[in-house]
Amino acid sequence: MKLDDYERNHALAAEYVVGTLQGMARQRFERWMMRSARLRRQVWYWERRLHPLNVSLPEASPPRGAWQSIEQRLFADSAIRVSAFGWWQSLVAWRWSTGIAMLAVFALLIWTPSPTVVTRYVGVVQSPQAEPLWVVNASADHRLTVKALPLVQPAAAGRDYELWLLPESGAPVSLTVLPTGDTQLQIQLTDQQVRELLQSRSLAISLEPAGGSPTGQPTGPVVYQTRLIQM
Amino acid sequence: MAEADDRLVRALAKTAQGDRQAFASLYQQSSRAIFGMCLHLLRDRDEASDVLQETYIQVWHHAGEYHADRGSVMTWMMSIGRYRCLDALRRRRCNAQVDTVIHEPPSEDSGPMENAHDQVDRQRLSDCLKGLDERYRSSIEMAYFRGFTHQELAVAMGQPLGTTKSWIRRGLDVLRRCLGS
Repeated sequence: MKLDDYERNHALAAEYVVGTLQGMARQRFERWMMRSARLRRQVWYWERRLHPLNVSLPEASPPRGAWQSIEQRLFADSAIRVSAFGWWQSLVAWRWSTGIAMLAVFALLIWTPSPTVVTRYVGVVQSPQAEPLWVVNASADHRLTVKALPLVQPAAAGRDYELWLLPESGAPVSLTVLPTGDTQLQIQLTDQQVRELLQSRSLAISLEPAGGSPTGQPTGPVVYQTRLIQM
Repeated sequence: MAEADDRLVRALAKTAQGDRQAFASLYQQSSRAIFGMCLHLLRDRDEASDVLQETYIQVWHHAGEYHADRGSVMTWMMSIGRYRCLDALRRRRCNAQVDTVIHEPPSEDSGPMENAHDQVDRQRLSDCLKGLDERYRSSIEMAYFRGFTHQELAVAMGQPLGTTKSWIRRGLDVLRRCLGS
């Protein structure tokens, strides 16, 4: 094949996009595409022209874990979970479950001697019986550590606890699905999340479907709340 | 430019700058369409989910390479997804199920991702496909919607390999002349 054979290339570009260009011929074509801007434009022509076929297909909701997997694969180093589905319009919009009472939760001061002077914020999430369940530790270097204490009972089957940052204004922000059973999790907060956390110091925990809220907004009842205290 | 596409362009531009929130927004706006396409091509939810993830990982890494010549943002992202789906089909070709469905017309309904410009393109493609010889159209649609190879097309349509190859080639040639530049 000659690279300057316009008609022949158009035919190959069409079969490349349709998918009938196969095997070695397909690989060879992809190498030619890297060398030829005109060939790339011919492929784009077919991609544009046949795109209506793509949008004619019925849409389908991806599995709930797909977004989390993408984040883990891309950002595993910081283990951050960005809310995939935006923000709540306002805290007022939070549909507090009437079936489950809001629990009064008190933050406890926990003093851990530190070799360096680092500003830290600590909160303890407690059960109605004042048993400590999770210790939340935020440090000035944007790390948020959540330690589940042994008393934390796993959520019901098919459920997870999800931690939310409650900004002073605006929608709750998903931070992470919480660990249970004497384990610890560390996440890296974004600059914006740190700013909002320092302003409001408020966190909430809701019960969500396994893997976290499918909408990016709390969908289940808020079972705990806590405030961080500066150490 | 339609509002939905404008939103996608903004989200993609921010994604190219490493904005994860924008990337999440991009996913929210586009993943149903891409997953639907993958599910249709692969007919396997787990595999479609894997391909969906690969697609967005590629989108994250190559967001800065998008430009208008590629079509809309959805054209670009769905093309990425489509090629990943075709790769997945190739990998399991030995087990590919060859259906004998001859004709699978695209839906006449416009999806939520479609804007006015898309509608013009869709109408034109639809008209051109309708004008094609039935055998050409069926071959192209089966290849496009099922990811069939020439060989699989030949089996599915009960024709010699050379015949289905020729149908595809001629069909696409007629289609291009109808679609124009």
